[in-house]
Amino acid sequence: MTLDYQFKSLHIVRSQINWVLRPLEYLTLAPLDLTENLGDYLKTKSALEQENQAFKTRQLELALLANQSELLLAENQNLRNLLELQKRTAFKTIPVEILFNPPNPISQRVVINRGEKQGLKLGSPIANESGILGQVVRLYDHSAEVSLLEDREFAVPVQVARNGLRAVVFGVGRGNLLELRYLPVASDLEVGDILLTSGLDGIYPPGFAVAVITAIKRNSDQNSANVFCTPIAEVNRHLQALALIYEPQWDAKPASNNNLNIPAAPSGTQSGRRQTRSKGSQP
Amino acid sequence: MIDYQSGYILRPIYAPFIYLSLLGALILNLIPLGNHAWVPDFLIICIVFWNVHQHRYVGVITAFLFGLLSDVHSSSLLGVNAFSYAMVAYIAIAWHRRIIVLSMIAQAVHVLPIFILVSLFPVLVDWVLTGSIHWWGFSALIQALIESLLWPIVSKVLLAPQRRPLDVDPNRPL
Repeated sequence: MTLDYQFKSLHIVRSQINWVLRPLEYLTLAPLDLTENLGDYLKTKSALEQENQAFKTRQLELALLANQSELLLAENQNLRNLLELQKRTAFKTIPVEILFNPPNPISQRVVINRGEKQGLKLGSPIANESGILGQVVRLYDHSAEVSLLEDREFAVPVQVARNGLRAVVFGVGRGNLLELRYLPVASDLEVGDILLTSGLDGIYPPGFAVAVITAIKRNSDQNSANVFCTPIAEVNRHLQALALIYEPQWDAKPASNNNLNIPAAPSGTQSGRRQTRSKGSQP
Repeated sequence: MIDYQSGYILRPIYAPFIYLSLLGALILNLIPLGNHAWVPDFLIICIVFWNVHQHRYVGVITAFLFGLLSDVHSSSLLGVNAFSYAMVAYIAIAWHRRIIVLSMIAQAVHVLPIFILVSLFPVLVDWVLTGSIHWWGFSALIQALIESLLWPIVSKVLLAPQRRPLDVDPNRPL
């Protein structure tokens, strides 16, 4: 246990055991898949036609929206160029399927059927059509474990959609509401406000819905507000989701050695700022 | 072995049945029932049962190995379940003479602390490692309770093959 917690050195053992266990897990999923497939197979023609019609209209709407958004995207990039702002990075998506929730009293996770070999990365966010679900926390070759928003101490930097107030939303654990912490009493929040990812951490692309505020308790004596919210994406129900592969140029990763290649500015200009450098290198 | 419930002598155990039942319990555990407090851990019921009844076949080492599998499946720290299963197997073997002579209900009450230990162990480990107690983790007590309620049923099912009569005489049934 200590080996795993302190040094994370047992990943090889774990992935080997996983290699044995995964077929059995797929085996237990088989009856569920079978009943679902049978249900699909036995659907009547009229139901299928209706569904098809609905999909067609939906696709038309989405195509229209997509055309619009292409235009807006190009316009936005151009404007950003003009203003010399950082460009928004596009992200790739990988469709994933949720296999099961591992039973565990202290964490809320799901296992998905795509892994390192399919291009998933440690820390990739997982979302469905309504919002963020969670983040990849453990990678195997052909599967991955995803920590859900509800997971204890799971933090996502967010922004209130209405007024752009920044905050961090925390998971509290199995079956509990999410919490917005470290906010003063006077902060401008209302029940029903939608929280979007702010993109400040370089992990989540900005603008994805995360949660909606359901209750606010203001304690004026402690000068803090307890704000509770529920996730927008229904975490435990959907089987299909998307993994977002997103790598902005500016990110929250620790400074790499590339920084050393930047020619050093005259020392007088950086007197007030502590530079990070690797051990042993001379300033 | 004597069946203390009925007073008859049981048939000798068929070893592959033990391992098949353990495998079956593992597969029952892998069924995606979701991460709820009421989902019982079939594997630990089965392991404790065989520890009590046939500790020469299923001992601490078997419990440890199945615990490793359970760790990987439940995405906990590698070794949490392995350690707790092994510890509980030791306790169950130490208590087996006491447990085996009791009535079914008393047996269920006796294995309850064992199941509580297994269910709460991840929470305790998390407490030691992170320094804060996850109070909602204590909902795992429900799991332990359900497991001990399942104990009489599991005993009936797993002892059934040993309770068959040796030679059936249709003319003079017992």
